[in-house]
Amino acid sequence: MDLQLDSLRRNRHDMARAWKNETGGKVVGLFCCDVPEELIYAAGMLPVRLMGEKEEASEADLHFPSNCCPYVKRSFDQGLKRRYDYLDGIVVPNTCDMVRAMYGTWKMNLETPYAYFLEVPQRISAQGVEFFREKLLDFKGSLEEWSGREIRDGAVEDAVEVYNLNRRLLHRAGRLRQDGLITGVECQNLAISSMVIPKQEHNRFMEAFLKEAAGRDVRPAGVRLLVSASMLDDSDLIGVLEECGGSVVADDMPAGSRYFFFPVENSSDPVAALAERYLSRIPCPRKMLPLARFDFVRQVMEGAGVQGAVIHSLKACDCHLYEYPYLKAMIEDLGLPVLFFRGEETSAEQETQRDDIEAFIEMIRG
Amino acid sequence: MISAGIDVGAVSTSAVVLDENGIAGSFVASSFEDGLDPRQVMDRLLERTGIKWEDVKVVAATGRGRSGCKFAQKTSSDVACQARGAYWLFPSARTVINLGAEVSRVLYLDEQGRVLSFATNDKCAAGSGLFLESMANLMDLDVSEIGGLALNAGSAVEVSSRCAVFAESEVISHIHKGELKENILSGLHTAVADRIFELSCKLTFRPNLVLTGGVARNIAIVKHIEQRLGVTALVPPDPRIVGALGAALTARL
Amino acid sequence: MAESTSAKKHLETTLLVPALRKKHYAESLTQTAGQKTGWCSNGVPSEILDAFGINAVYVENYATVCASKRLSSGFCRAGERAGFSQDVCGYARILMGYLLGGAEAPEAPYGGLAKADFLLVNSYSCDSRMGWFATMQQTLDIPLFVLDAPYQPGGGCTEPAHMVYTESQLLELVSFLEEQTGRKLNKEQLRARIDLSRRSADIQTEIYEMRRAVPSPLSAGDAYTVVWPGMYMAGTRECDDFYARLRAEVNDRIANKIGVVPEEKFRLLWSGLPFWYNMALLNYFEDFGGVVAIENAYFRNEKSCPSQHPDPIKDMAITSTMRRHYAGDLEQRLQLTLDIVRDYSIDGVVLAYNPSCRLMYLLQPELKNALDRHGIPNVNIECDMADERTYSEGQIKTRLDAFIERMLALRK
Repeated sequence: MDLQLDSLRRNRHDMARAWKNETGGKVVGLFCCDVPEELIYAAGMLPVRLMGEKEEASEADLHFPSNCCPYVKRSFDQGLKRRYDYLDGIVVPNTCDMVRAMYGTWKMNLETPYAYFLEVPQRISAQGVEFFREKLLDFKGSLEEWSGREIRDGAVEDAVEVYNLNRRLLHRAGRLRQDGLITGVECQNLAISSMVIPKQEHNRFMEAFLKEAAGRDVRPAGVRLLVSASMLDDSDLIGVLEECGGSVVADDMPAGSRYFFFPVENSSDPVAALAERYLSRIPCPRKMLPLARFDFVRQVMEGAGVQGAVIHSLKACDCHLYEYPYLKAMIEDLGLPVLFFRGEETSAEQETQRDDIEAFIEMIRG
Repeated sequence: MISAGIDVGAVSTSAVVLDENGIAGSFVASSFEDGLDPRQVMDRLLERTGIKWEDVKVVAATGRGRSGCKFAQKTSSDVACQARGAYWLFPSARTVINLGAEVSRVLYLDEQGRVLSFATNDKCAAGSGLFLESMANLMDLDVSEIGGLALNAGSAVEVSSRCAVFAESEVISHIHKGELKENILSGLHTAVADRIFELSCKLTFRPNLVLTGGVARNIAIVKHIEQRLGVTALVPPDPRIVGALGAALTARL
Repeated sequence: MAESTSAKKHLETTLLVPALRKKHYAESLTQTAGQKTGWCSNGVPSEILDAFGINAVYVENYATVCASKRLSSGFCRAGERAGFSQDVCGYARILMGYLLGGAEAPEAPYGGLAKADFLLVNSYSCDSRMGWFATMQQTLDIPLFVLDAPYQPGGGCTEPAHMVYTESQLLELVSFLEEQTGRKLNKEQLRARIDLSRRSADIQTEIYEMRRAVPSPLSAGDAYTVVWPGMYMAGTRECDDFYARLRAEVNDRIANKIGVVPEEKFRLLWSGLPFWYNMALLNYFEDFGGVVAIENAYFRNEKSCPSQHPDPIKDMAITSTMRRHYAGDLEQRLQLTLDIVRDYSIDGVVLAYNPSCRLMYLLQPELKNALDRHGIPNVNIECDMADERTYSEGQIKTRLDAFIERMLALRK
């Protein structure tokens, strides 16, 4: 298997099919960072984050209107174009209007055998964590029923260990990024690839990759940037930023820090530990806790020497668009300039973004 | 020292030559009508000013097509060049609104003319030069006439400022209803100026205001923006060359 | 747009609403000393707020008032100026524009809103509501309570964990309000309010069912107005009396075959929200013998759950788990629409595509697909329900005219 970093995302469908053939296991597609993948892993299945392609969402356009989340629409479009035919199941969490809508629409239009809606509380509270724990137990039971096999606690603990290792490795990648040993593009591709290939394999891949990277010469840094974004499911925008003279040294993104930043705590009740981490610790604007959100953004910037911030929101993303004016104010209060984009993340759009990006970088350089 | 700047934009290319005394010459070519490539535009300008290529120490390029200017030793962003050009012309410039063919931008400068922040229009055509030109064509008018006609209108017919597609269909419907061209133009100019004003609100306005770009030659747009912002705008004699001027200044850095 | 943009009212009971609404806002502004004001989203149970003597202001309604008074452009601009994208809910932009004020903001209707002491939002209707309330919290710097409950895409259920969680959230709301007001919850008053609320809601359900009659006794032009008391005065005697009166009038019209047009040539279903700045559009079809016989936005076809527990909070938790209004599996929602078309003798459907209300907007294409599959004529018109700058009269009327022609041709 070719493990070149930039090909992992591109070859994800072939790789998933190969995994299925080799192991006889089930592949489960999912949206968002809210789904505790460890449970799916513990069931012996392969969890994969659903992702789209930068092409006309011609099929999905027949099912969704124009002003809605391009990421979810394009992911669904891939399903309609039969590129996700190998999926045995999908899991849809209670994240946002568009993702919720996906539950009914996917079931109605595609023949994926197993579809599960995961109730995730919309706010953080002690009762919420308890409720979420019960729902995770239900989810676990559902996976057991579907697979015909029990998922013992030991299996969940093992999964947590594997996932926590992955998180530590991705943190290490973040530090190498800050030190100029790996690029922002590489760092994001590491996070993205973690979402689509088996975790243990990814851990081995990362160990090797990071070992090689640690021995590189430090590359001269461009203007040091934070990128805060709603779902960017490829590294193209980061690529443009770095081509234009920026160095992305910190990120606040779902296909990035938000995915791996916090570990699952060791606990005698691993499902409770999952509930705690996945509910209380995911710093997504959808959780409507601005102070905790801004704490997280400050945390990812720590030690990175950020000189400017690029905030990107997909169009029609209520969660991020409401937050934007306050996030911008918070970052500007730290003395940092902000560049904002709201769009569909198409290739054509990126060309026009280039002008503004170059201007922003030139402005910071002075 | 002689330096030159070239601004390769969406529909026109402009060039400026600077010497110790200031602007030695400038030239604006329309991409469609004149059919000149950037190099030829520079040739033409040098011909007119009697300056030879060998005498030009440094050339800088800006605009969307700047990377294609192989004869330029430096390139710089539109934003940086607009700021430099505007500040050089008007050292009191603190807000610059660049009204281009496809893109409008607002820039904020500090006392040294450095860019503090900027905002670009939201991909919507309704604030742009090309839009005004297509509306002029719709009414069988030359784009150079429409500003004056709009200002002389007795009243304004309402045109949507929200979207170019809407605005176009509304203008067509007004034409069919037999509304006076001046009144339609008045409403149209208000709508376009509103769009530009909305852009300027993304940042906090500080005087003095400089307007640049082709659309700054449209007196109705200028007047409307002045009214909305409550200031008198500074408009260069040829607002189309500010980017190229900024590039020529960049060349000297 | 035409001079008058209010819907024509065909029923006498409808004419009572404006006075009720004005009185409601006036009372809200002149709150009694010591009374606290909470700004709420639809879905926050007014019965609980009443039991605390709180002055509850449902701000979404205020946004529709601003829109219907043709003030949306100014308020939206003011909201957008503060950085809120045009993608987000028109109501939110209007309210943010009202809050932030500035030169663009018009004069506020009804003298404005009573100053909020705290904010209350429910989580399980749409994202926008929560984002909007979170931003109001940051602007006003007052406490915000988020009332959560399980989403339940399949609709009602009887899962104990759901009921326990819902109850815990209601109890947290009660604690929050006790802290804010310095009072204790009056459980008897709450029980009385809940019972009255259910009674009014059941009458409304009856009236929805009665609207199956041909000719249509109550069309959308009236319906979007008469829904108001139930949404904002629930649990009051006045509300109950209003719906009893309305039911009587509707009964009378059915008995005497009094319709909305002299000769009903076609019946329509309006899917989605109306355009609050041009409610007259709902009457547009009447000149051609058409009537919007029913709308799906606030549709109810189920009687209230009977009381499940003597304790009113537990009762609310159990019954709201067993019944769900906004949520519902896509297939269920599509089937409901097809059922409505059948039961209400509908000839065609108007699909209002509203880009900033994603909750409703997202399902319109699949709805259209389902209608097409079943050969039910439909037309879609796209613009924001509150931001009138998005309305293009020419475009919309052209589409509706073509649709009306089709309806009339099909009749022959």
